Amino acid sequence: MDNVTQLRPAETPKADNTDGGLKGFFHKLSKQRALVFMSVPFLIWLIVFKYLPLWGWSIAFQDYKPAKGMFDQAWVGLKHFKFLFEDEHFVRVMRNTLAMSFINLVLGFVTAITLAILLNELRKVAFKRVVQTISYLPHFISWVVASSIISTALSADGGIINDVLLWLGLIKEPILWLGEGKYFWGILGVSEVWKNVGWNTIIYLAAMTSIDPSQYEAAEIDGAGRFQRIWNITLPGIKSVVVILLIMNIGNLLETGFEPQYLLGNGMNVDYSENLDIFVLKYGIQMGNFSLSIAAGMFKTVVSFILLFTANHIAKRLGEDRLF
Amino acid sequence: MAKSLSKAPKMYARFKSPSDRIFDFFNIIFMICLVIVTLYPFANTLAVSLNTANDSLKGGIYLWPREFTWENYKYVFEEATIFHATLISALRTVIGTVLSVFCCTMVAYTIARPEYVLRKFISIAFILTMYFSGGLIPNFLLVRELGLMNSFWVYIIPGLIGVFNVIIIRSFIEKLPEGILESARIDGAGEFTTFLRVVLPLCLPVIATVSLFSAVAQWNSWFDVFLYNSSNVNLSTLQYELMKILQNSNASMNSGNDYASMFSGSEASINRVTPTSIRATMTIVASVPIIMVYPFLQKYFVQGMTLGGVKG
Amino acid sequence: MKKRRFWLSCLTIVMLASLLSACSGGKESNQPLGSTSTGGGAQEEKLDKVTFTYFNAVAGKDINTNETRIGKIIEDQTGVNFKIEHLVGDENTKVGTFIASNSYPDVLVPGGSIDKLLSAGSFIPLNDLIEEHAPNIKRVYEPYYNLMKAEDGNIYFLPMSAVVGEYISAPNIEQGAFWIQRRVLKEAGYPKIKTFDEYLSLIRDYAKKHPDEDLTGYIALTTQDQFFALTNPPMHLAGYPNDGGVIIDMETHEANDYADDEITKRYLQELNKLNADGLFDKSSFVDNRDQYIAKIASGKVLGFFDYRWQVGQAMNNLREVSLQTGNDDLEYMALPIVFDENIKDQYLDPPSFVNNRGVGISVSAKDPVRIIKYFDNLLTDENQILSNWGIEGETYSVDENGRFYRTAEQIEQTNKESFRESFGFKYFEYNWPRYGNGSSLPDGNSVGAGRQPEVAQMSYHEGDKKLLEAYGVKSFSQLFAAPDERPWYPAWSIPIEQGSPAQIFTQKKGDLQRKYFPKLVLANPAEFDKIWDEYVKEFGKLKVKDYEQLITDEVAKKIDLIQGK
Repeated sequence: MDNVTQLRPAETPKADNTDGGLKGFFHKLSKQRALVFMSVPFLIWLIVFKYLPLWGWSIAFQDYKPAKGMFDQAWVGLKHFKFLFEDEHFVRVMRNTLAMSFINLVLGFVTAITLAILLNELRKVAFKRVVQTISYLPHFISWVVASSIISTALSADGGIINDVLLWLGLIKEPILWLGEGKYFWGILGVSEVWKNVGWNTIIYLAAMTSIDPSQYEAAEIDGAGRFQRIWNITLPGIKSVVVILLIMNIGNLLETGFEPQYLLGNGMNVDYSENLDIFVLKYGIQMGNFSLSIAAGMFKTVVSFILLFTANHIAKRLGEDRLF
Repeated sequence: MAKSLSKAPKMYARFKSPSDRIFDFFNIIFMICLVIVTLYPFANTLAVSLNTANDSLKGGIYLWPREFTWENYKYVFEEATIFHATLISALRTVIGTVLSVFCCTMVAYTIARPEYVLRKFISIAFILTMYFSGGLIPNFLLVRELGLMNSFWVYIIPGLIGVFNVIIIRSFIEKLPEGILESARIDGAGEFTTFLRVVLPLCLPVIATVSLFSAVAQWNSWFDVFLYNSSNVNLSTLQYELMKILQNSNASMNSGNDYASMFSGSEASINRVTPTSIRATMTIVASVPIIMVYPFLQKYFVQGMTLGGVKG
Repeated sequence: MKKRRFWLSCLTIVMLASLLSACSGGKESNQPLGSTSTGGGAQEEKLDKVTFTYFNAVAGKDINTNETRIGKIIEDQTGVNFKIEHLVGDENTKVGTFIASNSYPDVLVPGGSIDKLLSAGSFIPLNDLIEEHAPNIKRVYEPYYNLMKAEDGNIYFLPMSAVVGEYISAPNIEQGAFWIQRRVLKEAGYPKIKTFDEYLSLIRDYAKKHPDEDLTGYIALTTQDQFFALTNPPMHLAGYPNDGGVIIDMETHEANDYADDEITKRYLQELNKLNADGLFDKSSFVDNRDQYIAKIASGKVLGFFDYRWQVGQAMNNLREVSLQTGNDDLEYMALPIVFDENIKDQYLDPPSFVNNRGVGISVSAKDPVRIIKYFDNLLTDENQILSNWGIEGETYSVDENGRFYRTAEQIEQTNKESFRESFGFKYFEYNWPRYGNGSSLPDGNSVGAGRQPEVAQMSYHEGDKKLLEAYGVKSFSQLFAAPDERPWYPAWSIPIEQGSPAQIFTQKKGDLQRKYFPKLVLANPAEFDKIWDEYVKEFGKLKVKDYEQLITDEVAKKIDLIQGK
């Protein structure tokens, strides 16, 4: 294995595949056989469990009936894609999906990072642990329970939000919060933060452990203030994790789930609450239309890939860490 | 090593300027507010689970039960299958987490090595899978063809590698100081030994983190039980059994499906429980064990295991 | 050379991968989900014990039938036990996996996925089995054979609503009605009201007289899955039973989707006025079901429309209060309200045959003969009494005239969910071949205990009796008109293929109504007409004519079948 390390300075990873052609490639491969043994079995696992089932995508081009064999299905071309894209609500559904995702992405990142930093600034370890433990509890409450609590809090008959606002004199009569479409995105964003902020800090806290404490000491000796330390040491220390998570999440922009939107949605806010997953739920899953579900899934994958590669490319251009 | 753990955060906290004090003051106030807001749902759920079901449906339960009862818990634990299912849940959580985290770390280690020729290929092959799925039916047929139906291993093998976890571990390994791996190799250690003896211990904070992710996912999952093992009660898990109890209480309370309107029979039968009270109870029953695991993992990433300590 | 080596190794990887899957694929992992024959399978010895599997597409407790009292008795008769598995999660997903793997439990009781199973050929035809082994099934179901036969002439499943004997209607209101709080009736001196206007003015008057009690005049349930509780009332107010979003003309038998009709407009406009008067609960459109139930259970709501089985929780709760306090003011009474004096109400279900639900034997079943014999054995009078009434002296009693009744203790016991489970009522009352609701025995007793007048009388408390007396009736359903004969009823049981244009139409209609109905009700009364026109315009874009035609055709088909054409 020593050879491997010796080779290292001489080549950049980029040159791997071209340098010395295939012979060089296999030469290196055999040198790195330990690494191969440690990774290729999982590559096979990946092919079997992730790539092999992709034959199921052909279902999107059929009127799939589980009863028939794969080759006896009626092929319908792009019918299901057309149904999806030609629906008059499609644009609205996409707008809602992207808007909610974007709000959740920004709010989610900002709040989780802020909380992680603030937790990191707490002096008493015991207090820090208690706060951190409690803050992640809502993650274990299902959306059914959570949305019931949210709905009660926002209620116009004695909900706490209206009560407080009335008491403060900010409003004159209770507001039907869930009855106004324009509030929905905000309500959803805040709910997501409330439910997941503690959970999301975990990963940043873990990243902060890799910051060398001597940096803080040195900064303190230099007379750096608290905010300077945060800005110059803590944030750069977790930057790579932030960037990588950001890229991965941008790839997931269409993957919003449907539970909170479905549970908090109603006829009055439907123009703002209905997203792609709810559309697929209603017209695909609940109607037993597997084909439409798969078609929507393929559409999401294509969009995800575009977003993913774009984000990765931008990160690369900016000289930041990147996903691949 | 343990000493340097607790020292680290205190070191730079010796002197306090006035602005520091103000910051600390507001930080603590903020944290207390946060605790109140995030503790509430759990406290509320606990209160509902300890309140009589019939009273709860009138609403208005906040932090304290109005009519105290253990009835909801009795109802849940009356189900004899619960205990065996808890055991299976624990087993899948422990075995699944250990195997998955070990394998993820190993893959992450290989693709964190800049000189590895398959690095980029493997990375991309893994990352792409985060964004697609062949769908339910192909996955079901695959599991069936592999003979994993009605087997414990269906909980472990199809989800063996979490790509997200691999990427997180990879980025952590990439940040490890160069010198450590180098010195291991100079000592003549092979790849696997280096991985086992040097990398794994160094990665403890991130391993603790992904273990938590993996354990929570294992503990909470019920869909694989539903798809693959639903006819084998010996392999049922806690979440699945709780789901059954919940849906059962739901069905007997409000026969919401269309042909239920054809039910006549007697006056609506009197239930001891309601879906709301059962849901609250199952939230508590299912989440308390996994929450109790948390402090043991937490110390690795909250207290901070510093690399400085390892180095010295 | 180099190239070849590269491709070779690529090939090796691919082969390894495919080997892995092929190997394990080759191994027959095809063990059937069910059929755990425990008893050697010799059919001649009748009492050889055997266990079959049974899947029911509703949620419930999984159980072996021989763990219940009823199931044990029947096992002693037949030697057959069923291992019942209930649905957890989504039905389509579960059934999809059955079909994709072509392995089923022995007996299936599907819900909405039944057409999928039928088209997948999951059921075996029962015609010959019934002819050879099942005289009771033949006796009970023969009158309905025309409705049960698939297009190929085969019977694939047995519905659960074949009425045997004289039809007995239910004494209490189990279905939809306009409910009003009893204190409102009491204060007004128990008026006999019929029209929607009268109903609403009762509510208005009461609310006016009690301005400080924080009362809600009228409330509606509008959650996504229960939205029909807001769209169905116009149909009932116009004097039709619940045909599921359509009205079938009594003469022409044409289906009419009334979503854009005058009756819908009229209902919503009344709610709109109620809202303007501050008597409609605006939160109706944002509340979830729990909040809705909580409001009714609070006793502050004067009236609402809903189906009894949707508000059972709240009603039972209020009943408990009145049993404790002896004051039933907060309980509700069901009224057969219609739009105009001259309309005859049709809230009660006509005798009906639901032919798109039932129990069938799957192609995976090893011993269909044994199963059909078990089914047949359930259809004796004795076993129907066992499944519905239980055991004489324990769960029911018989008076000197041979009438079945239940004592107060027996009623209390048989109402308990846990008892219903352990005794087996819960598993045997429904979901098997059975005498349908409203059936009666040759001696005149009702098959279902709930429909026996003696049982209903016994469960009335003082307040109920007073109320019944004030209205001069013996049971609550006597206030309602007898149902007219509607051979097609219920139109909602017309099979609509999943994912078909008709189903997409109903979904789109639902989406549109969910959006517009709140607007209409909460609008300034001056703007009501404008929004209504907008809604009608949007509605016009949907293919309502196709849908109506489909229902009309199916209704005609069903009538023809019944008349044996």
